[in-house]
Amino acid sequence: MKCQNPNCKREATVHLTEIKSGVRHEMHLCETCAGEKGLPGKPHFTISEILAGVAGQQAGQKSKKGKEPECPGCGITLGQFQSSGRFGCPQCYVSFRDDILPLVEKIHDASQHVGKVPQRVSLEVSLQKELRLLQLELKRTVKREDYEKAAALRDKIRKVEDQIKASETQAAEKAPRARKTSEKKGGAS
Amino acid sequence: MALQDLLQDTGEWLRGTGPESDIVISSRVRLARNVQNFHFITKMEADERAACEEKIRKQILAVAIVPETRYVELLQTEPLDRKLLVERHLISKEHEDGRHARGLAVGVGENLAIMVNEEDHIRLQALQSGYQLRPTWALADQVDTKLEQGLDYAFSSQLGYLTACPTNVGTGMRVSVMLHLPALVLTRHIEKVFQAVSKINLAVRGLYGEGTEASGHFYQISNQVTLGKTEEEILANVENVIPTIVSYERRAREDLMKKDRARLEDRVWKAYGLLKYARVITSEESMMLLSSVRMGVHLGILPGLNLRTVNDLFIHSQPAHLQRLSETVMEPNERDIRRATFIRSKLAEA
Repeated sequence: MKCQNPNCKREATVHLTEIKSGVRHEMHLCETCAGEKGLPGKPHFTISEILAGVAGQQAGQKSKKGKEPECPGCGITLGQFQSSGRFGCPQCYVSFRDDILPLVEKIHDASQHVGKVPQRVSLEVSLQKELRLLQLELKRTVKREDYEKAAALRDKIRKVEDQIKASETQAAEKAPRARKTSEKKGGAS
Repeated sequence: MALQDLLQDTGEWLRGTGPESDIVISSRVRLARNVQNFHFITKMEADERAACEEKIRKQILAVAIVPETRYVELLQTEPLDRKLLVERHLISKEHEDGRHARGLAVGVGENLAIMVNEEDHIRLQALQSGYQLRPTWALADQVDTKLEQGLDYAFSSQLGYLTACPTNVGTGMRVSVMLHLPALVLTRHIEKVFQAVSKINLAVRGLYGEGTEASGHFYQISNQVTLGKTEEEILANVENVIPTIVSYERRAREDLMKKDRARLEDRVWKAYGLLKYARVITSEESMMLLSSVRMGVHLGILPGLNLRTVNDLFIHSQPAHLQRLSETVMEPNERDIRRATFIRSKLAEA
């Protein structure tokens, strides 16, 4: 449905029903025209505007050169993301990092998470911290030529490194891979 | 779960109690989460969707999130029942229409609901009556932590919880407060509120969330930004604006009572009269009339009526509830007659 403002050709996305003295009035406007009328429903940006601007530019450039890069996790391209506004898998955030970060910054005016962290992740973070502290202590111990203590520290460090490695492999094994069906499609063309 | 149970009552969040309940209907906190070893919904084939749904369902039931959690597999429900869940604010319209394996977990009292396989694998919502965002967040946080013990969430140390749409990335948190603002609409000050709210990056939505109309003078105020702020800061941002809007609405009501009392009382009594005696009534019309009646109850214009009755009518007079209550599928025209009969009988009891 198009915006009912006669001078506007955009899609109507704000639909308002008003009942005045028992008579029903319906209004169908695009977000811009609704905003001009001071109606609710207009965010300070629209996701499609941002997608068309930020991601669109990048996607267009790459498709001219040849095949658009796909996310190895799900096979989605930046152009597909642009039209749907939805990613295919968590890995998309890594695959399209350079295009996505400016988009995320534009939406949230920030690019670093500072909120809650899952316990599994906070464990990894604390292991990394422990590792750094142990390495520092090892350096000092070697300087002091306390080799007995240094050997013990080295064992500790190895254990922590193993723990970190274990949790990383666990995460990597669980990362989704693109389906075979989408690979086949690519091969047939 | 016997959906019929839902008809006996309304959710606790509709009790009409809690702080500022004359104006604040409910406080809601929603968290979006995805499980690491699965694609996002749009890239999932049927078997993966089913596996994801099963994994999350098992974890929900294993950790006994709230006492007597009930789980509904939406593939096995009738379309009318799904509509009923939308009217109850337990699922979104998107979740209602899906064709794949998906579910809803809901606790007794409906203070907690989890949509499984909606836009994100997990959409967890905590909902309470009146203005009480902190306890609502505490509940959502606690359930989220319990769920995470058996599910590896997709998470990045830079971008936080990874979501299908980048507008939710970071905390995945949407805080919404549902307000009833009839006097600000009557005095034509509502636009100013919208303008002020959008300046500080908060959104105003209608009764049923994104893209819905503001029927019955109900508005939801919610945060837009989910990244770069802690959950505390997001809450504080919304808390900065709600008391001001509440005081504006209260002042507008007082003004109307002082300057135009006869007209205001007339509006309330006429609305009550129509609801009490009408023979045919559409759902939009009943929403608007109930809105006036609700304000009248708070201003002491209608002393005999309690808020619970009015809140119940808001929910039970909606299409799916009406049809379930009368155990028949009805055409809109028939529904309007049935609605009028239902409202009359409820008001006669009150």
